[in-house]
Amino acid sequence: MSTASEPAAAGHAATEPSAAPQAGAVKLTMILSGAVFALMMVFGLIMRAAQGQWIELDPALFYQILTAHGAGMVGTAALSGAAILWYFSGRHVVLTAGIYWAFLGLFLLGVVLILGAIFVGGYGGAWTFLFPLPALSGGAWEAGAAAAFMLGYVSIGVGFLLYYLELGRQIHARYGSLARALGWNLILGREDKNPPPPTIVAAAAVTIFNSIGIILGAAVLVASLVHLLVPGFEVDALLAKNLIYFFGHVFINASIYMAVTAVYEILPEYTGRPWKSNRLFAIAWNAVLIFVMAVYWHHLLQDVVMPPWMLVVGQLVSYFSGIPLIAVTAFSTFLYVRGSKMTWDLASSLLVLSVAGWSVGSIPASIDGMISVNKVMHNTMWVPGHFHTYLLLGEVAMAFGFMAWLVRGKTISQMGGLDRAAFATYLAGAAGFVTVFLFSGAASIPRRWAVHYEEWLTHDRIGTLFSVLVVLGTLIFVLRFVARLGRSEG
Amino acid sequence: MRMICLALLAFAEAVALREAAVASPVQHVLVQMPLLVLAGFMAAWDLKIPRGWAVPLLLAALTVFLFWMLPRNVDWALSPAGETAKYITLPLLLGLPLRLSWPWLGPILRGFLKANALSMLGVLGFLYTHAPVRICNSYLVSAQHDLGFAFLYLAAALACLWAIPVLFGHPRRGPLGAAGCSRCGA
Ligand code: HEM
Ligand SMILES: [Cu+2]
Repeated sequence: MSTASEPAAAGHAATEPSAAPQAGAVKLTMILSGAVFALMMVFGLIMRAAQGQWIELDPALFYQILTAHGAGMVGTAALSGAAILWYFSGRHVVLTAGIYWAFLGLFLLGVVLILGAIFVGGYGGAWTFLFPLPALSGGAWEAGAAAAFMLGYVSIGVGFLLYYLELGRQIHARYGSLARALGWNLILGREDKNPPPPTIVAAAAVTIFNSIGIILGAAVLVASLVHLLVPGFEVDALLAKNLIYFFGHVFINASIYMAVTAVYEILPEYTGRPWKSNRLFAIAWNAVLIFVMAVYWHHLLQDVVMPPWMLVVGQLVSYFSGIPLIAVTAFSTFLYVRGSKMTWDLASSLLVLSVAGWSVGSIPASIDGMISVNKVMHNTMWVPGHFHTYLLLGEVAMAFGFMAWLVRGKTISQMGGLDRAAFATYLAGAAGFVTVFLFSGAASIPRRWAVHYEEWLTHDRIGTLFSVLVVLGTLIFVLRFVARLGRSEG
Repeated sequence: MRMICLALLAFAEAVALREAAVASPVQHVLVQMPLLVLAGFMAAWDLKIPRGWAVPLLLAALTVFLFWMLPRNVDWALSPAGETAKYITLPLLLGLPLRLSWPWLGPILRGFLKANALSMLGVLGFLYTHAPVRICNSYLVSAQHDLGFAFLYLAAALACLWAIPVLFGHPRRGPLGAAGCSRCGA
């Protein structure tokens, strides 16, 4: 089997798996994630303020910041999700520390390349690097900058591949097959003496679909790189778009599906009832495994050359993709919370909020997945509106909830004044911020425009004010985490 | 001994396919060349090497692999000098060192190599099915498209081959064995 895992940091006597091996590496990752989240939010704030014409921002710089914000946020969401999943998977299987460090190292190398490409090389072709835009900068950046950006992605992709290989390998070692880890015995009604816990079901599903996403993503990245460096080589633009959105959709969704394990593992400490896998739960995750890969067509509803049946599948599956899992998770959370005398501290509040935010955010997403709506809403602020909902109030809330739990200590007590203020500020800011985006979308304000018309400025300015609140709340969460971490380690 | 015979058989088969390789890039790149690699692989089946050699040998194999992946070199392989180089390097510098180093490679590295192979087949498929130029001077554009699709089918087949045991457990050893097949390294 594997080499032994590193002894856990921070004073735990790490003998049993539940003592969280590699807690030190995970805590370091969460410090990094918190800091980058905060920084990227400031970037977002700058963009919003520039759209509202409260500050001057050169449009070229706007697109660089937009690129950094998109890539940085998606990357950090994935990084924090991966840290959470690693931490909790370590309760059930033995994971090799070296792989995690290699993952983190490759990730940071990728970040350096991406930041260099954007702020030194001037790359501003957005995080989706849609073919052939990176090669058609109109003089705004050199091919080398776009190539560095893509190499950064490749580095991050390799890091994640190693991560999933290790996770998949250890799950396979413990459960014999990924099918069993996905809960197929539960689904088929077969006896299983050691059924996979929710975290393992999630880990198995994410390992499968994100590995597929990474392998296909790497193919389109390298093909784009070849095109960039040897322009004689063309790639099929429609195929490239398909692969890019497949990769992008799967990758960003995986960040939530990894982070949700924090809900499965932490909330039971508060409700006093363990979160167990059952048949419905396993069915929901298996459905997600298929659906998350079949719904990316909703990004191509405007591509009339796509075969119509694919778009219809994209529309139909958009309804079903979120629904089973979110329904099962949200419904269970509701039942668990309702029947118990829960203590509402920062961790539990953020985690319950995250389930709610994730569920709510999927509604405007499904609406936009309708072909008739998409004709109007495509490329409007509706789109950032829905994904900021399930990212800010979903994934990021899960990450902050996990961080609060990491430094909570043994005793659970009600929130203090500062925690309550931070939570309220964050919630109000985020809810207001995404609502403004959704309103702007309904008013057909386009997304990804550096310069806005006079008529749109009110939207932008209200949005800017709300984002100040989000940044404030975030700063408190992150500083509180670092301070408490210092105290408990010191 | 049996393996040596198989190696010779594969090599002979590859030589017999000389004409076919000239006629179609699919037979050249996806039949003849793999047969040559297989010949080296089989020849080294029962040999063992010390651990320290594994990484240099793997690097050598990968370098040779990369060299023969370039379309220009596939063209060159049809000229007399290139052909000789192909018959020597593919078995001796790719198949052989790959087989020798494989047992020493950790599971993560193996997995990485496999995933990488799938990605690269995808890239080749991507480029060959759509390149507006003739990449190989010796073959027709239509043959180039066929080769591109052949790469994609191969990627799909390998993906199934490698994924099914992980998904459903290894058929021969029952569901609980997990260390991987130590002989073939799958
Ligand atoms: C204070 C918090 C935030 C603010 C103020 C903010 C602001 C913005 C703005 C102004 C845009 C551009 C909208 C447009 O198209 O005109 C944007 C795009 C985006 N944001 Fe945020 N954001 C915040 C948090 C987040 C978080 C937490 C995530 C993910 C975890 C995220 C991910 C993205 C992505 C992926 C885009 C799309 C980039 C593109 O169109 O290429 N944002 N954000
Ligand atoms: Cu999507």
